[in-house]
Formats: sequence, C-alpha cells, structure tokens
Amino acid sequence: MITRRNVPYVLILPALAGFLVFKAYPILAAAYISLTTGAGAARSFVGLDNYVRLVNDPLFWTSLWNTGLILVVQVPIMLLLALVLALGLNSPFVRLRATWRLGVFMPSLTGLVAYGVMFSVILSKESGLLNWMLGFLGVDPIDWLGSPFWARIAIVIALTWHYTGYNAVIYLAGLQSIPKELYEASMVDGAGSIRRFWSITVPQLRPILLLTIVLSTIGTLQLFDEPFVLTGGGPDNTTLTISLYLYQNGFRYFDFGYAAAIAYALTLIVAGFGLLQIKLTGGRK
Amino acid sequence: MINRRGALALLLLLPITACGGAQPEAQAGPVKITVWTWKPASAGLAAVARDFEKANPSIKVDVQAVGNPAIWEKITIGMAAGGKGLGDVLHIGVDYLPGYTEKFPGGLADLREFGADKHKDAFAKGLWPTVLGKDGGVYALPWEVNPAGVFYRQDLFEKAGVDPATVTTWDEAIEAGKKIKEATGAYLVGVNKPAAGGADMDFYQMLLQQQGAFYFNQQGEVTLGGDAAVRAMTLLKRMNDAGILADISGEGTFKQLVSNGKLAVLPWPAWAVSYIPEMRPEQKGLWRSMQPPAISSGGKRAAIVNSTYLSVSGNSPHRKEAYAFVEYALTRPEVINKIFKEGGVFPALSAAYTDPIFDRPDDYYGGQPALKTFTDSLAEGADATYYSSDYARALKIASDAQTQVLTKGADPAAALTQAAELLAQQTNRKLASG
Repeated sequence: MITRRNVPYVLILPALAGFLVFKAYPILAAAYISLTTGAGAARSFVGLDNYVRLVNDPLFWTSLWNTGLILVVQVPIMLLLALVLALGLNSPFVRLRATWRLGVFMPSLTGLVAYGVMFSVILSKESGLLNWMLGFLGVDPIDWLGSPFWARIAIVIALTWHYTGYNAVIYLAGLQSIPKELYEASMVDGAGSIRRFWSITVPQLRPILLLTIVLSTIGTLQLFDEPFVLTGGGPDNTTLTISLYLYQNGFRYFDFGYAAAIAYALTLIVAGFGLLQIKLTGGRK
Repeated sequence: MINRRGALALLLLLPITACGGAQPEAQAGPVKITVWTWKPASAGLAAVARDFEKANPSIKVDVQAVGNPAIWEKITIGMAAGGKGLGDVLHIGVDYLPGYTEKFPGGLADLREFGADKHKDAFAKGLWPTVLGKDGGVYALPWEVNPAGVFYRQDLFEKAGVDPATVTTWDEAIEAGKKIKEATGAYLVGVNKPAAGGADMDFYQMLLQQQGAFYFNQQGEVTLGGDAAVRAMTLLKRMNDAGILADISGEGTFKQLVSNGKLAVLPWPAWAVSYIPEMRPEQKGLWRSMQPPAISSGGKRAAIVNSTYLSVSGNSPHRKEAYAFVEYALTRPEVINKIFKEGGVFPALSAAYTDPIFDRPDDYYGGQPALKTFTDSLAEGADATYYSSDYARALKIASDAQTQVLTKGADPAAALTQAAELLAQQTNRKLASG
C-alpha cells in the first residue's frame, strides 16, 4: 500500500536495490575474499595472511612507487595545461569556438582499444610518428616503450593527452560562472590582466581547482588503461601500477584473495589522499 | 578506468555463467561425449572421431574447437563450478595441467581406474612424469610433444664460412654468431629484450630444459636461482654483449629482421617445421633444421619445450567412454599419425615415428628430412619439466630478470637470486638448496 509517508522510500527503492546488488554485495564479498586463498571448492580461510604478504611484497611497493611518481609528475602538468587551454577557449577573441572545444574534449571520448593502437603507432621505435618528427630536429630514435625512463614518460604523455581536455572543460564551466562585474570593477580600479588572473580568476576557481585535483588524484591512483594497453607494466615493472598489479594477480595468476587484498589497500590509500587534500586546501564549498 | 569494482563484478559473475552447461542426457540411445580442443588440432581429432564412432556404434563423439586461450578460462570456470558444463574430454597444455590437478582435486579423472598406466612407456621419454599428480594418479595421456630445435639460414652460415656441423655447443654457436655478424650483418638469435607486449622466454626456457632444469624442480621448489638457471642466463648475456642477440621488440621488428635475412637462427620447436614455410614461402631452400647445440661439450642437445594432453573430466558421467576415445586416439600409431597429417599436431607416441613421413625429404628445407631432427632428438631422451600451478607468476618474474640482464647489464646470478626469492615469497614455496 503506497501512502504519503512511504512514497519517498518506494521511489528510492530501485536505486537502493541496484546499489545493494552491484555495489554493496561486491564490496563485502571482496572483503571476505581478501581473507581467503584458493578458488572454488579449494577456497580456504587464511585470516590476514594476504595483507601480511602484501606488506612484504617488493612488487607491491614498486607499483605503489610507480603510481606515486606518475601522480606527482603528471597531475600538475595536466591541470596547468588544462587551465591554459580553458583560458584560451574562454577568450572573446577566439573564432570557431565550438570546433576548438570539441577538439579539446574529443580525446576523453576515445575508446581504450583505439587509443592503445593509435599510441603504439605514434610511439613505435622503428616506424613511429613521434620519432619521425623528432628525426627532423636531429634527435636519435627514442625507445618509448622499451626503455624504463621513456616508458614512464610515454605513460605521462598518453595520460595527459587523454584527460587534459576533460579537465579543461570543467575549468571552462568554472570560468564562465565568474561574474563579469568583478572584472569590470577591477578594470575601473586599474588592475592589469595578470593582476586580474591572480586576484579574481584563481580565487573564484578555487572550488573547481580542488575538485579537479581530487578527481585526478583518485583517477591516477587507479591508473590501469594506459600501462595495460601500452607497456603491460614493463619494462621490468617500471610502469606497473597498483591496479595493473591487482589485475595480474586476479586474472593472470587466479590469486583472487590476494587481488582483493590489494583492492582494499588501494581503497585505503585513495581515501587517505582524498581526506588529506580536502584538509590541506581547506575547501568546503 | 577499469577499477577494482569492475574486476570484482566480473569475478562474481563467473560461477553464475558456468551453470548453463550441458545436462547429462537420458540413458537411452548412444552415449554422447564432448571433446574440448582448439584449432587446428581439432580438425585432426574430428577426423579420427568418425572412425572411432564406426568401431564403437554406442558412442557419439562431438569435437568442439573451443579455442586457445579461451579454453583455459572455460575449464577453470567449469572446475570451480564442480565440473558442471565441462566437456568430457579436455585438451590441456603442460603449463596448465598441474594448476588444474592441484587447485581442483577430483576435477580430472584418475585414469588408472581404466588401466592407463600400461601406456607408461609408450610415449616420448620425459612426458610420463608430467601426467602424474602429487598422489601418483594418472591425469592425462600425452597427445602432442614439441621437441626443441633450431632452424638456421644455410646461406648465411655458408657466407660466413661456418659449417653448422661443427656447432655442437652454445659456446661454439656464439663464436659462429660473431663470424656471421661480421660477414653478413645478421644477428644469431632475436629476443624481445624489454618484454614489451609480453614475456619472451622460450629461448631461455629451452636453455634451461636442455639442462633438465626449469623454474621449479619436480618437488615444486624454486630453482630459478640455481646453477643451471644462471648458466643459461649467462649464455644470453654473452650473446648480448657480443652484439649477436637482436632486440625484436616493437611492431613488425621481427618480421623485418627475418625478411631481410638479419636473423640467422630461429630457436623454435617442432611445430615450426610447418610454420616457417607458411610464414616465409619466398625463403624456400634457405632454411635447415638441426638439434640445438649443447650447453657444455658432450651435454644434452635434446629438450621438450612443451606438450599437450587429453584428460577426462572427473565429474563426467561417461568417464569410461571418454577414456575409450582418448586411448583410441592417442595410443595407436596409425590413428595418431592421421591426426598429425590432418591437424599438424606432432605426436607424443614413440611408435608413431616409424611412419615414412618422419624421414621424408622436404623441398622447403633443401631436401632435408626436417622432421627427422626432432624424432632423433626425442630418441636421445629429454627430461621432464614440472610447470607447477604457479607457472604464470614464475614466467613473469623470470622475464623481469631477463630484461634486467639484457637491457640494464645486470649480473645474471644477482638478478636470478633476487627473482628466486621473490618467486618463493609470492608462491609460498621453498627455495631449492644448492
């Protein structure tokens, strides 16, 4: 019987049911699986063994270090670039605005496979587009995917290409919501364009900046696609990320208990980072 | 991004999808057994299945090309579901067999029940230990064997003034490689040094297997840091330092090297006898096959690179009929050779090698009986390789060590000791002593 009082519950019921089946159950099941080892009939309870093993596993620390390195290098570069792009797109002097915006946003719509194939062609050592272009500048061919250092750079390039446009669009929306009156008033007061940027644009964008920093940090901590399609984590694990290591343990070695333990470790790290960033930047808006 | 939630959702779906399999049919009429295999081996098996049905009208055989690698996951899922939906007869590779018998006790039938142990000496030496479980049970019969070999470019050797008959050890091969490089610019062997796109350990594993060694010993202890492992890696390092080990990483690199005559040797097993002519028809007459050089003077030149098997599902209601078919297909020379001719699967049955096709001169190989190299190798006798249930992990860790040695100049002993410790830690296995 639907009454006035229970109708809100009826309305949220489908969403709640979906959440319970597709989110809550897997999350709880993973917690249980992380305390077991083996598969199928041979599954047995081992307590915290998987977590002890995790702390002593050099490859887990390698993957953590790699992910952290990419995070520290890539996120600032990407966000700065996105901000510059957004400022350009927002400029009143730009013609064909819709085309530019589409172009900037397009990479984030590209599918994983197409994107992987495209970058293998661009980054190929012998016949790649990038090495061909660098050749004109007199640069020797770079082994983008085979050298430990350049493979990391290749991941950073691919990531930046993929997600800069997405962040630029978020910034663009933020820029457009800044009241014009603020700029007009400051111009009357004699502020130059640089002064206007630092004293009006940046403070007004602050909540948006915080949002993109948190989103990008979480996204990079869960980084999987780029190393999976480009390097497979190699060479010698220099591009092995936490999510990729999780995948290898689960679906290559069928060590589901250990994979679930890695998943919970990653969740803790992500939650910790998110809280820290919100605390540090003091954003509450 | 695929995250842990996506992965778990997949994991939780596995048992559900596994329930929709075949139901045991009614007793009336002929018994139907299903065989899971992959192409092109399936073609050979299907051909002899018709003969089998004629001789045994009460049994119908349905050969299904499930596909490789799809079959491994399907078998895993079926076993996790207690055998529901599995084929009655399963085609399994040596690298997966120990995983199934150890992780799913009872998942495969112990064929001693049907007297399989009487075929113990019928197959190429080194194969029988690989079908035995830890409990001594017989969990498969060998179907295919791939003895190690090397294919070499006769013209490049000649140009460099190297007689292949004098290359009997890998030390001599390295000296020959230097001469070939100088005279023709061709590398001796190619390896994907950074393991871009996946591990490339076949050459290294062959060097291990020639010494009767592998990543694990027969007791399942880790031997990746042992003397044999270091000796094999040192050979690779010496080739690398001499500039005769090509890096074949990257799109199309390998193809280009072979097309342009820049690779003098392909260290490939028996299946390549039919593959090379398909890959490079225009290089007809240039290639020859020989046994791999030995690790040390007078040492073993034979090795079994890999092998595949037919097993019977432990939960099949028709285990007896399934085994009757397996025994029919794999233990009779004329039947197994028919499979070989139709499906290109090199037979594991020793009695099969007396057939004239194994001595027939092959035009592609300049009139050399290329297959004979491999039957000779098996006659010499290879050692058994225990792949264990942790092969995938061992392969990855060994591959990382190889990359360290070949691209960063790491010391083989140091890199492998570290790799062995990591493997032991991750798989909870003991390090073999010595």
